Amino acid sequence: MPPFPGSGLAKGLAVTLRTMTRKSHTAQYPDVQPELPPRSRGVIGLFEENCTVCMLCARECPDWCIYIDSHKETVPPAAPGGRERSRNVLDRFAIDFSLCMYCGICIEVCPFDALFWSPEFEYAETDIRDLTHERDKLREWMWTVPEPPALDPGAEEPKELAAARKTADKLAAQRAAEQEAERATEQAAAQASGEPPAQAPDEAPGRNGADGTPGTAEGGTA
Amino acid sequence: MTSVLSLAGPAGPGFLSPTGTEIAFLLVGVVTLAAAVVTVTTRQLVHAALWLVVALGGIAVEYLLLTAEFIAWVQVLIYVGSVVVLLLFGLMLTKAPIGRSPDADSGNRPAALVVAAAAAAALVWVVVDAFRTTWIDLDGPAQGTTRVSGEMLFRNWVLPFEALSVLLLAALVGAIVLSRKGDEDAEGKR
Amino acid sequence: MNDALDVALRLVVVFAVFLVLPLVVGQTEHKVMAHMQGRLGPMYAGGFHGWAQLVADGVKFAQKEDVVPANADRRIFQLAPAVALLPYLLVLVAIPIGPGEGAVGVVVNAGIFFVLAVMGVGVLGSLMAGWASANKFSLLGGLRTAAQLLAYELPMLLAAASVAMAAGTVSLPGILDAFEWWWLPWQIVGALVFFVAGLAELQRPPFDMPVADSEIIFGAYTEYTGLRFALFLLAEYAGIVVLCGLTTVLFLGGWHGPFGADGLGWVWTLLKTAVLAFVVIWLRVSYPRLREDQLQKLAWTTLVPLALAQIALTGVVKVVIQ
Repeated sequence: MPPFPGSGLAKGLAVTLRTMTRKSHTAQYPDVQPELPPRSRGVIGLFEENCTVCMLCARECPDWCIYIDSHKETVPPAAPGGRERSRNVLDRFAIDFSLCMYCGICIEVCPFDALFWSPEFEYAETDIRDLTHERDKLREWMWTVPEPPALDPGAEEPKELAAARKTADKLAAQRAAEQEAERATEQAAAQASGEPPAQAPDEAPGRNGADGTPGTAEGGTA
Repeated sequence: MTSVLSLAGPAGPGFLSPTGTEIAFLLVGVVTLAAAVVTVTTRQLVHAALWLVVALGGIAVEYLLLTAEFIAWVQVLIYVGSVVVLLLFGLMLTKAPIGRSPDADSGNRPAALVVAAAAAAALVWVVVDAFRTTWIDLDGPAQGTTRVSGEMLFRNWVLPFEALSVLLLAALVGAIVLSRKGDEDAEGKR
Repeated sequence: MNDALDVALRLVVVFAVFLVLPLVVGQTEHKVMAHMQGRLGPMYAGGFHGWAQLVADGVKFAQKEDVVPANADRRIFQLAPAVALLPYLLVLVAIPIGPGEGAVGVVVNAGIFFVLAVMGVGVLGSLMAGWASANKFSLLGGLRTAAQLLAYELPMLLAAASVAMAAGTVSLPGILDAFEWWWLPWQIVGALVFFVAGLAELQRPPFDMPVADSEIIFGAYTEYTGLRFALFLLAEYAGIVVLCGLTTVLFLGGWHGPFGADGLGWVWTLLKTAVLAFVVIWLRVSYPRLREDQLQKLAWTTLVPLALAQIALTGVVKVVIQ
């Protein structure tokens, strides 16, 4: 029971009155553009250069809304005497956005990062056939794809970087080992000839330092 | 009421030079009468109720022309506003087809006609006998204002007024008793 | 000749008010309701915050086809909107907005009874529409309208009678002349009863069972289109204006105000009417629709006893004063 009769009615009136004095939530869309959250799924852009016509996207699409045509071309051997390579060339890449359900599976499965989400959403058409975006249109969408958001501070570093670094470290370690081995053979040769090598004492600490701090880019490239 | 005026004519200002009010009174009277006749002769139930509205409204206008403003508006309020609404409510609740409903006619037509004629004759006779050639002066101070009606009602006619209230009270009590009884019966059956 | 001109002028003014004020109330409802629900409401029509939305609506209604259902009772179906709308125009004629004879369309001697009687006639329009549409939803709407009118007419009349007793007159200007500020607390219960019953008679939410769209589509107006439908809507908003004006005149002292020169009485009347109209909209936004049995219960077990108690109180105070 309320403390006195009618307090519930008064409360209802108070709620509506309070709401009236506050700012309304209406999004005045055509006049004011909406503030979309990062990674909004508006339209799909195609970065053609990365596409190898592997057809994974078209096969995984639940709606079958991706159309891909291609042909093979032979590339002359890179080095004289080498073998001829065959390469897939894209003829048509189209996404029918009247069928697309914006699941994003195509983007997830693309192994070469050729498909991207763009936040653009104003591509309504009066004819449903115009919703099939061909490769030139998909390429235009590509330029609206935002930069990937920065990682959180303290986040694990991306797999690509980690993999690259691992390779680089491995290379550096290998090279250091080779030089070590070289030096060892030189020393062995010098001792054998009775002459101490002139450069070896200067060079050795520097190499050791580089080995002690892995992760510098120079270590990999050097 | 039309008869009152036509009888009153010769004694007062005369028949042949009617005032505007008198002409209007007669015309509205004719319309009211016609609407009343249509009410009882039409074969469409709801139309009958709506023609009744016209008839009752016509009577209200007659009251207005006789300067009895209060009575006129009460007439509209009670009869047009409530009684006819109740009537329509009842019609809709039971059976109110669009179009003619010949089955609504019963074999009582002649009897009803006799009763109606007798009632009309009695009323006309009483009214004519009561007023004879009394001339109601409409131009002077209004004789049908709320104040005059109230004073007449509560000074000269208190007893009939109270008797009427008792009658209504009895009807009210009867209605309550009837509805309560129906309730108990229904519960008993369950 | 001068008299005829005077009357004609007054009627023209009343007619203009009749056409403008309901639209103003309607537009206010659009905007107030929107903001109470955290929306903006119409923003485009007319350029500035959608001020011309109802004009645009009117144009739209006028362009629509006027459909009469094949099985409908044609003549009554077509007559109903006029029957619903005209009474409110007539009532507006009798409402005084300022002191003196100059500020009322026509001085009606038995003003209260005139106003209530004619307002009751307006409901006949809904009944006619409900029956003549040959549609069961319309018929149900008509039935509910009739039941509601029968239930709420009584408390409304009793509350009005209380004011008439207090003032010792049934003329609207007469009541205003007799008004004192302490009538406000004295008649407050009557005012509430009158206002609530009036809302119910207008079928405004939360008393809109007769047009409950989730149950019976739009009640008696289901089959109406175009201009005739617009007339019904106009009747509803004209009804709001009339009800608020009447409550102002009967219970809130009309042109009396705490301050202000003699010539500004009409401003007070309009201001009070506007505040009441806002309350009408406010109630619509805040409360859900009453169920049919709750509706009847409220009228017979709450409003009628309250109105009778108010009459008793009025009588006692009146006798004590004398």
